[in-house]
Amino acid sequence: MLSTDELQINIGPQHPSTHGVFRLLTRLEGETIIELTPVFGYLHRNHEQLGEANSYLQNMPFTDRLDYFNSMANNHAYALAVEKLAGIEVPERAEYIRVIMVELTRILNHAGAIGFLFNDMGAWQTQLAFSMREREKILDLFEMVSGARMMCNYFRFGGVVRDLPPEFLPALQDLLEAMPAFIDELERLLSENEILLARTQNIGILPKELAISYSVTGPMLRASGIPYDIRKAEPYSIYDRFDFDIPIGSVGDVYDRFLVRIEEMRQSRRILLQALEQLPDATGSHINPKARQNVRPPVGDAYTRIESPKGELGFYLVSDGSTKPYRYKIRAPSFINLTPLGDLCRGHKIADVVVILGSIDIVLGEVDR
Amino acid sequence: MSDDNSELSARQRDEARAALQRDLPFALSPSGSFPSPEGGPDLLATSDIVVEAQQIAAVARYLRASLNYIYLSNITAVDLLAHGCFELVYHFYRLSGGPALTIKTRLPREKPELPSLTPFWPGAAFQEREAYDLFGIVFKGHPDLRRIYMWDEFEGFPMRKDFVRQGDKYLSE
Amino acid sequence: MSIQIQRGKAITVDRRTRKTPMGQGLLRGLGVIWKHWSASFQKNDSYKKIQGTFTIEYPEERRQLPEAYRNMPILLYDEQSGHEFCTSCFQCERICPPQVIHMTQAKDPATGKPVPAVESFEIEYDACMSCGLCAEVCPFEAIKMDHTFELSTHDHPSLTVDKTALNRPTTYYAQIAPRMWEEVKENAYKKLAANMKRRSDLIGIAPQMQEQLREQLARAPQAEPAPEAVASASTTADDKAARLAAIRAANAAKRANSENGQAAQGDATQSADDKAARLAAIRAANAAKRAAQQAQASEAPETAPSESASPADDKAARLAAIRAANAAKRAAQQAQASEAPETAASESTSPADEKAARLAAIRAANAAKRAAAAAEKGQEE
Repeated sequence: MLSTDELQINIGPQHPSTHGVFRLLTRLEGETIIELTPVFGYLHRNHEQLGEANSYLQNMPFTDRLDYFNSMANNHAYALAVEKLAGIEVPERAEYIRVIMVELTRILNHAGAIGFLFNDMGAWQTQLAFSMREREKILDLFEMVSGARMMCNYFRFGGVVRDLPPEFLPALQDLLEAMPAFIDELERLLSENEILLARTQNIGILPKELAISYSVTGPMLRASGIPYDIRKAEPYSIYDRFDFDIPIGSVGDVYDRFLVRIEEMRQSRRILLQALEQLPDATGSHINPKARQNVRPPVGDAYTRIESPKGELGFYLVSDGSTKPYRYKIRAPSFINLTPLGDLCRGHKIADVVVILGSIDIVLGEVDR
Repeated sequence: MSDDNSELSARQRDEARAALQRDLPFALSPSGSFPSPEGGPDLLATSDIVVEAQQIAAVARYLRASLNYIYLSNITAVDLLAHGCFELVYHFYRLSGGPALTIKTRLPREKPELPSLTPFWPGAAFQEREAYDLFGIVFKGHPDLRRIYMWDEFEGFPMRKDFVRQGDKYLSE
Repeated sequence: MSIQIQRGKAITVDRRTRKTPMGQGLLRGLGVIWKHWSASFQKNDSYKKIQGTFTIEYPEERRQLPEAYRNMPILLYDEQSGHEFCTSCFQCERICPPQVIHMTQAKDPATGKPVPAVESFEIEYDACMSCGLCAEVCPFEAIKMDHTFELSTHDHPSLTVDKTALNRPTTYYAQIAPRMWEEVKENAYKKLAANMKRRSDLIGIAPQMQEQLREQLARAPQAEPAPEAVASASTTADDKAARLAAIRAANAAKRANSENGQAAQGDATQSADDKAARLAAIRAANAAKRAAQQAQASEAPETAPSESASPADDKAARLAAIRAANAAKRAAQQAQASEAPETAASESTSPADEKAARLAAIRAANAAKRAAAAAEKGQEE
């Protein structure tokens, strides 16, 4: 009789589809996965200890490099955490500028995530090229305001570095005009594609209760059917002034996560339009003029979280009254969202592993810090 | 916004503390079990709920079952060298929204062991492994407690405050 | 799960459950591809378009970089005076997250005391993370972010750049970031003027200009550098005192304007002030003309003031300078007393006259200084 052996395959740290230096140890029975263990730490740069050695302002450029796709979101979370700890207020105009930047980041990220998901499925950069075109426009906008495309370092305690240059708003309005056509085209290209449907429907299903107990957040949680979005659940900044919906999925598979991301892009555009409308009435300058960047917060701790495009990004800061944080912990969404990966992949084929990993949308800068 | 948030937060905290007092009174930790240093800031002073380290699993289960805090967001370990203890901070949320409920426990630095939440709360798995890897806190009952960032043969716990910063080994050799 | 959501609702995404026979989904997708391909022959020149090519054929074409673009830090120096803006205050070194800036402060060779100038300044370009924090915290607008990104080299040690390689003239920075430079240049020059007073000899002069200035120093010991902010038609050096008086007057006027209310009033008093200022200006201009005529007679290169002037003209020029300064001061005081419009530029009386008054005052002071120098030189020889 033929007997089968278990095969151990290492989807190694150097791999084009693992979204970074990420290793998957899999045990296979034929092509079906029996067990999967993620191994990471290849990009561990000891950011948390660096954070303790730097002052609060010096940490800001390092937060850019956490989730390097969404540097504005990281900056936002860190700035909010320090402002909460030190009690710094932010003027309205700065809040609107921040929201504009973060929502643009969300569009950036979701377009990119969809592109990378299709790369993982073997679509050879088609969708990625379209997504990158819109991403390039947004990166141009970021370069205009902050000086850099990706490592923006734009947020400060009490506001942002500088005000919007005059060419920013017309460019943003043009971009928002083109956005519906882009998203509709994306849906037309992808959402009914038979190959996509075959490869993503009922793959990697994460049931509701399991999603909550695994502490997953972000589009992954919402695709499982739970309408939990930190912008609505515990509104921070000025998100309670905007009307927008929360897309949720029904099954919790890869297809739902994909659709949720597309719909979130539409909702982000809605928020941006409202922000642009309300921006001219906003009072104040782009930064709180009384806020000292050399903050020395009082002794205490604060945990602040935002809805970053990948999930709940939280910063837990402990201050001992000096200019440097005593403990600087980052609650990274990609790190926590990876917890159910073993469970999600069990029983699927090895080709599905990459697709499931793509749907979780991780970035190793955050996972490893 | 932050004002009514902190008010809500305080209300949640008081409500949780009262419930714990009623149902799990042995779990709440008496204050002053660790000394505060003479000079220097007192990082142990807090208004959050402090529980006994060995009861954390019971407290977490209780919070999930009775008070509806079903979402564990964050587990952080803090090394309070001057006070001679590790502090573990847990942040729980309700899915209906609202601010966090912060639970803190303290462990002696010589023997940092406490029960793991992972068997019934799988979301804690990676966070506890991280606390083990970087601080050396042992979570009893964790199904797979091994290093997560550092390589397996690494010795020492890097995020501890008394970990000797070794500098750039490669350039100096 | 019933979770209340404010200002929105939870929408369930459409899973496209209807079946599409015969691969219509794929074909629809291919239709999108076809549209993009056929549109790719046109140029996409606007953010509104989602089709078309927008390739920039680098390196023949280059994209216009926005002003705020930051790549590597550079140091600024004023090419008219040759002085560097950097005073070695160590703010950038302190804030730099990867700690790549290293500098030492210059010391006065005679007394050994530190002077507000930098002796050696190094940045390790290879470790710099281009965060721009150094440019943000610099109080003297000395360090700025450059736009050059083509820095690849085979020579690794050359990536630790020192002051000579970091120095750029302010015209370079004004060219790459005109708006940002406009906002800060007045302040920068004011601080530079204050610092130049405390720098002796060639301390604080950019290495690029040391040769040039050493010659100047040898020829005319009293040569004083000129700030760019005060536009003077003559290329000779200005007198520090006159410049200072002019700046003080301008400051007083601005303060008066900002302190007082928004109503535009006090035309009568203003016109009186203005008249006084114009009179002083005319007197000063005359004195300057006289001095200039004298100057033309002698050899007068652009840099060295070495004309001879009669003591009488010299006195007249100095008197005119003092009168102009006094008039400006009086004008400022009277403007403080009365209610003035909000901004200095929107005064009902012409700002051009004020400028002319200041200019004339400075020119007179020039002439006075030149005369004094010449007189001294004459005495020496």
